[in-house]
Amino acid sequence: MFRTLIDGLTRSVERNPNAEAVAYNGRRLTYGEVHNLAGNVATYLTESGLQKGDRVALLAANSPEYIAAYYGILAAGGVAVTLNTQAKARDIDNWLSHSGARWLFADHKHPELDAVCDTTQEARIVAVGPSGKTPSADLIPWRQVLEARGNALGTPIEPDDIASIIYTSGTTGLPKGITLSHGNLSANIASIIDYLHLTADDSIVAVLPFYYSYGNSVLHTHLCVGAKLILENSLLYPHQIVKRIADERATGFSGVPSTFALLLGRVKLDDYDLSGLRYLTQAGGPMAPALTERLTAALPHAQLFVMYGQTEATARLTYLPPDKLAAKKGSVGIAIPSVTIEIRDKQDHPVGAGVTGEICARGENVMQGYWRDSDRTAEVVKDGWLHTGDLAHYDADGFIYIDGRSSDMIKTGANRISPKEVEEIVQELPEVQEVAVIGVPDETLGEVIKVFVVTIPGQSLKMRTVQLHCRKNLATYKIPKHVEFVDELPKTASGKIKKCLLK
Amino acid sequence: MSVEAKIKSYILENYLFTDDESALGSNDSFLEGGILDSTGILELIYFIEDELAIKVEDEEMLPENLDSVSNIVAFIERKKR
Repeated sequence: MFRTLIDGLTRSVERNPNAEAVAYNGRRLTYGEVHNLAGNVATYLTESGLQKGDRVALLAANSPEYIAAYYGILAAGGVAVTLNTQAKARDIDNWLSHSGARWLFADHKHPELDAVCDTTQEARIVAVGPSGKTPSADLIPWRQVLEARGNALGTPIEPDDIASIIYTSGTTGLPKGITLSHGNLSANIASIIDYLHLTADDSIVAVLPFYYSYGNSVLHTHLCVGAKLILENSLLYPHQIVKRIADERATGFSGVPSTFALLLGRVKLDDYDLSGLRYLTQAGGPMAPALTERLTAALPHAQLFVMYGQTEATARLTYLPPDKLAAKKGSVGIAIPSVTIEIRDKQDHPVGAGVTGEICARGENVMQGYWRDSDRTAEVVKDGWLHTGDLAHYDADGFIYIDGRSSDMIKTGANRISPKEVEEIVQELPEVQEVAVIGVPDETLGEVIKVFVVTIPGQSLKMRTVQLHCRKNLATYKIPKHVEFVDELPKTASGKIKKCLLK
Repeated sequence: MSVEAKIKSYILENYLFTDDESALGSNDSFLEGGILDSTGILELIYFIEDELAIKVEDEEMLPENLDSVSNIVAFIERKKR
């Protein structure tokens, strides 16, 4: 067991510094090299005046530099604030100011970087890129970080210290920054390593972004056991992914339902030698039983772990042991090691088998709270129990089945979207009187966004204008696929929009 | 309308929601610019197949064939040869 992720990485380095840690874009880095890069970042930050607990934001796609920056921030005693790379400048500014980040490490090619530079007052910006090129004189070049020679991985860190903040929403209103301690991360990572039986012999083609919880868990589980990460940053070209799994003889692959739908839909898996695959993991919302069956039929030798979790629980809460996949079809399984789960009613009392209630969880992985938002924290963490907002029941054997969400979050691909966030952006258009956003079923993504718009009498609006405004202000996956103009929205007697009638 | 103009106009209309041609350069990477997501690329392939009467084979779904307007144009020219 490791107390912190830095301990976990250090152990992997000590075990075999020459083992391959990361393969990316033709580059291969050993554990020793990753450790040195993280040391450069930690030294740079320490020499630049980082104080323990200072926030350092990270806006970068999966890469060796992301890994070096993340571990360097933690090793220096900083808090890694990981930001969604698809976000627009407006979100990014909001998160930087809410977290009080003193530095931002951003991909030098990030399309929003210029806009962020123009508006950000507080954070010093490091342009992350292997070439070390910088587009502007205001930015600190990556090579300057690499020149910070020294191994500052020795800052004392305790499990209770804050390690990371992950923002899950933010465009309007108060951003939601899920705050995780070193203890939260190491406990959850250790549990996942345990049930997946990960060892230094494992390797994974990692397609999930590291900035959010599922990808974050893939990253740390592998580095803490000395396994190999093979980075592929896009699902746009599914053949490349499968070819990489075959060429590298990867032992693992993690995806959300839409990942598997794309791979099965566009690639003839039989054409590739995938015999090295030992396991698959699936989280990020329920996968249609037919898709699960196709996946297990296509890769019968690979164990499929169906899992459930929440960023508020660091990442993972339950898993279905692969040998129970057939007998417990549709279940998300049982609590992972060191987590306790109860299904509770509205009065917060545990319910019996077969009764639907809210999933509540306790364990060392439950977040410290929402950053600078004690009210919202108190709503979801009560007496140490995380109230997930997800509805479920368990069967006579204790296996959990998700029945729905008590909130109206839309799940598209791997992303959760608050309808309110999209509604508030559409509402900004001067022609809009009223708006309602819902999720509608989509074969590949699970759900996509549909917006209903009522325009001000006498005003007209084009679908494209609505989408363009969203594109300018929201991450691409939040742009409504469908826009319907209606004369009025169905409402309750008290004036609340009845979204169930829009579905 | 040329093949290049057709593809450009489809992307501008459906993903960038504008008529402004300067919003999309012929060599702009769909991947790096966040212009298309994984379902967007599939929709684009269906469009190419329908409009230009070519079949995009699964194994041809590669960035060198599809990741920019100019890559697609060159890919289609190669296919038609």
